[in-house]
Amino acid sequence: MTSQDSKIIYVESCPICGDGLCRIRICISNQKVTGFILCDECEAMWTDPLMQERVPTNVDETDPQCPSCSQSIWGKNMHWANIGEICLLGWFDHVQMVDE
Amino acid sequence: MVQKQRQDAAINALRMIPTKWAVIIVVAIIGYVLLQPQLNKRFGLSLPSVASLVGDEKQTSQKKQEKLNSNEKTSTTNADSNASKAATEEKSDKDDSVNKAPTSQPQVSDPTIGAERDSEKIHGFLTEVGRNRFESPAGLVYGPGSEEGHRLKHIERHLEDQPKRPGSHGVFEGDMHAFLVAIDDAYSRAKRGDKGTKKIQDEGSTIYEASFKKPIGFLGGQEGGRKRNPPLKQLRIVVRGKSLITAFPF
Ligand SMILES: [Zn+2]
Ligand SMILES: [Zn+2]
Repeated sequence: MTSQDSKIIYVESCPICGDGLCRIRICISNQKVTGFILCDECEAMWTDPLMQERVPTNVDETDPQCPSCSQSIWGKNMHWANIGEICLLGWFDHVQMVDE
Repeated sequence: MVQKQRQDAAINALRMIPTKWAVIIVVAIIGYVLLQPQLNKRFGLSLPSVASLVGDEKQTSQKKQEKLNSNEKTSTTNADSNASKAATEEKSDKDDSVNKAPTSQPQVSDPTIGAERDSEKIHGFLTEVGRNRFESPAGLVYGPGSEEGHRLKHIERHLEDQPKRPGSHGVFEGDMHAFLVAIDDAYSRAKRGDKGTKKIQDEGSTIYEASFKKPIGFLGGQEGGRKRNPPLKQLRIVVRGKSLITAFPF
């Protein structure tokens, strides 16, 4: 489900670290689907694709936590969004796509 | 006189000419041993000591190596007393391990980098401090995390170009050991606030940046390809607490 179409879908290059891609991370927990923006390098997070609001992270934690379920962003409930999920979130206009 | 009579007696007793020659040689050696330091000192000669003449190959090659080494060592070698010669030889023995530094180790292009590969350690550099957690000499912790499952796996991506990847992708030129050494060096300098470094606080993370004297890698990714992969001389490190999140040349 993570990369079934072997495409990298991203919003933009990361304004924090410069090398990362800000991609859409999906959390499915308690029958709720949540999307947020996550840099695949520095793990900076934003609540939406306009990238105006950062999701705070604590200094002492190893992995940042999902803003919805508070589990690790690399946990079982999480994956990179596919096109369908991005459409459902209404974020399609904000993304770019490239073959992996 | 008495000595000569004794020598004659000994020679007569043995009645062998080679023994006579042997005695002459022994006398000549004793004379050389006594006179060699005086002659060197007075006339500025560099006559070799008997010890060095009869010493093994190892000692001689060590001295050659010593001369090829740093100026500091050469200046000590030039000292004329036997005591300082002995001290230098001892020093060269101790420094031998430095000379044995693996030549295959990739050059990180910075004289401040010279950490040796320790076969006991992870990637010759990291110490295991917990389950799947490894610590560097500068105190950076590489643990589980990231999409790849481990921070070491994640930074490994920066040892190769990803030409299709959108945007920039900093590529370090060298192996994992050299990369870890460079990261530690950059982290230490940036933490101290040395010249050519930067420290940026961002939410829960700290971003350290440090310059190197020579290129440590090149710009990859689509952006790098467009710019014909220019060399990169800086390293950016993202940490949370002591945990390394990512590191790459930029
Ligand atoms: Zn980033
Ligand atoms: Zn969640």
